[in-house]
Amino acid sequence: MTALTQLTDRPMVRTIGLGRRFGDQWAIQNLDLELAPGEVFALLGPNGAGKTTTVRLLTGLIAPTAGNAWLDGVDVVSDPHEVRRRIGLLTETPSLYERLSAEENLDFFGRLHGLPAALRAERIEELLRMFELWDRRADRAGAFSKGMKQKLAIARALLHEPKVLFLDEPTSSLDPEAAFIVREAMATLKREGRTIVLASHNLDEVERLADRVGFVRGRLLRVDSPARLRAGAAEPVVIADLRAAPSSDLVVRLRDRAFVRDLAVDGRRVRVRVSDPESATPQLARELVGCGADILGIRVETASLESVYFDVLGIAPTVNGAPS
Amino acid sequence: MIRPAIVFAVVRRELLEIVRNRTLLAAIVLPPILLVAIPILVTALGARNSLPPDVVANLVAARPEWAGLSPRQVADAFGLQQTLLFFLLMPATIPLAIASYSIVGEKQTRSLEAVIAAPISTAELLAGKAIAAVAPAVVTVWLAYAALIVVAGVALGTELARIVIDPTWLATVFVLGPAIGLLSVVIGMAISSRVNDPRTAQQLGTVIVLPLFGFFVIQLQSGHLLSAREYLLAAAAVFAVGVAGLRVGVRLFGRESILTRWR
Repeated sequence: MTALTQLTDRPMVRTIGLGRRFGDQWAIQNLDLELAPGEVFALLGPNGAGKTTTVRLLTGLIAPTAGNAWLDGVDVVSDPHEVRRRIGLLTETPSLYERLSAEENLDFFGRLHGLPAALRAERIEELLRMFELWDRRADRAGAFSKGMKQKLAIARALLHEPKVLFLDEPTSSLDPEAAFIVREAMATLKREGRTIVLASHNLDEVERLADRVGFVRGRLLRVDSPARLRAGAAEPVVIADLRAAPSSDLVVRLRDRAFVRDLAVDGRRVRVRVSDPESATPQLARELVGCGADILGIRVETASLESVYFDVLGIAPTVNGAPS
Repeated sequence: MIRPAIVFAVVRRELLEIVRNRTLLAAIVLPPILLVAIPILVTALGARNSLPPDVVANLVAARPEWAGLSPRQVADAFGLQQTLLFFLLMPATIPLAIASYSIVGEKQTRSLEAVIAAPISTAELLAGKAIAAVAPAVVTVWLAYAALIVVAGVALGTELARIVIDPTWLATVFVLGPAIGLLSVVIGMAISSRVNDPRTAQQLGTVIVLPLFGFFVIQLQSGHLLSAREYLLAAAAVFAVGVAGLRVGVRLFGRESILTRWR
């Protein structure tokens, strides 16, 4: 690593105009991004959107066609070896040596990272206990369930205490139970304050874990926190379910209120579009009760990340050929 | 710079996998058993006809140390000498099998993706794989050779048994064999990176065996026995090709091609 490749102002990950072309096709281009230490950043996009290529570019596994990237201040292009010391990578498949035991798999990678024997043994025990695999440490990885394999692969990625952890589609091929186990493991890592880059198309997973989301489709289309993305997509709606359908007087009265941006009645349900649900919800409740309406339930509905996803990526989802 | 500790880690892991792969283990263990048995059986049970006097004279001229043998013993010695071929075949086939399973196995489990994301150079990775493929073959051949010396001494008598420790055998077992092993690994790796089944890789890799039969055919047809010097020259040529192949392999065996083309 040369002095020239060191950055003084150092985000954990930084890219400038990063792009990679395969033949005539750009997998990803013009990627400008900065990730702060401890941030969990999700790359969201459909299959073939360039998520895996982006992860491979940021981890120095493939060279960019354009632009550059720095990881913890290290130039990914000129010093990929040093970059690989600082990252942990969970590939889409666990990529384990199936004839080796869980312990032997980790030991091999500990050796590749140059961990001394005592530290290696300590880290292996710590991680296998953390992921509840310690009792199965001597079993061959090939005998593990998909969820256990993925947990072992995460343990492998964490073995050398990497500065940044890259998780590429960590739950894409898992059944619900295995996916749950892996998501819990990822939640643990987030609580530990690790910098994580998560490539996924699992919206629920992303919403639960990510501090910021980057929508990708050949280029970075939008970046923001899940909450701001949802808030920016459409104004929230406060939904009140009443014992009886509201009177026309009540509806007229509500329409006059300042906090109401729009109002719709569907039988005994009142839907009020508001700009600030925190202040509008109690006001709406007071108005309804004041007019003698009995409230069975009241809740706030915001735009889902799914609707934001479709909106940003310009996808019109269809069900059996008809728009959903 | 190649770091020995990293190469050792790769060798250690490869060997752990080899001993747990029964098919591969059989491919390593069975040939030496045949290798010791066949030369002895061929010589002990083979046709004991004497060779034509002019052929015997040619052979004795090529191997002055056979001058004290009877014409029939010369024929036996000539037959035993041909079994040297098996000691060339084994260093070719065992590393080929190991390399094929190693590379194709990594492709099937996609395990190399995690390895190339670790701080290991391509040269270190390939060196580890090459050593792990060649070493079992070399050790196996040497053990088989030691067993052959002992069994030949007991079954054929010391006069004939001495043939298997002449300079041509020593050059073959200790120099040409390992060189062929290296070349075999290089070919095995190159083929395995293009196919998805270890058996296909092995079948394609057996082309390396054809030139070895050349040694056998030349000697059989001409009645001319290659000298130790000729075996050493062959070893030098094979070793040079193997090293060149390995260097080319390091260049071609790029991380990108593993990620984007290995399917």
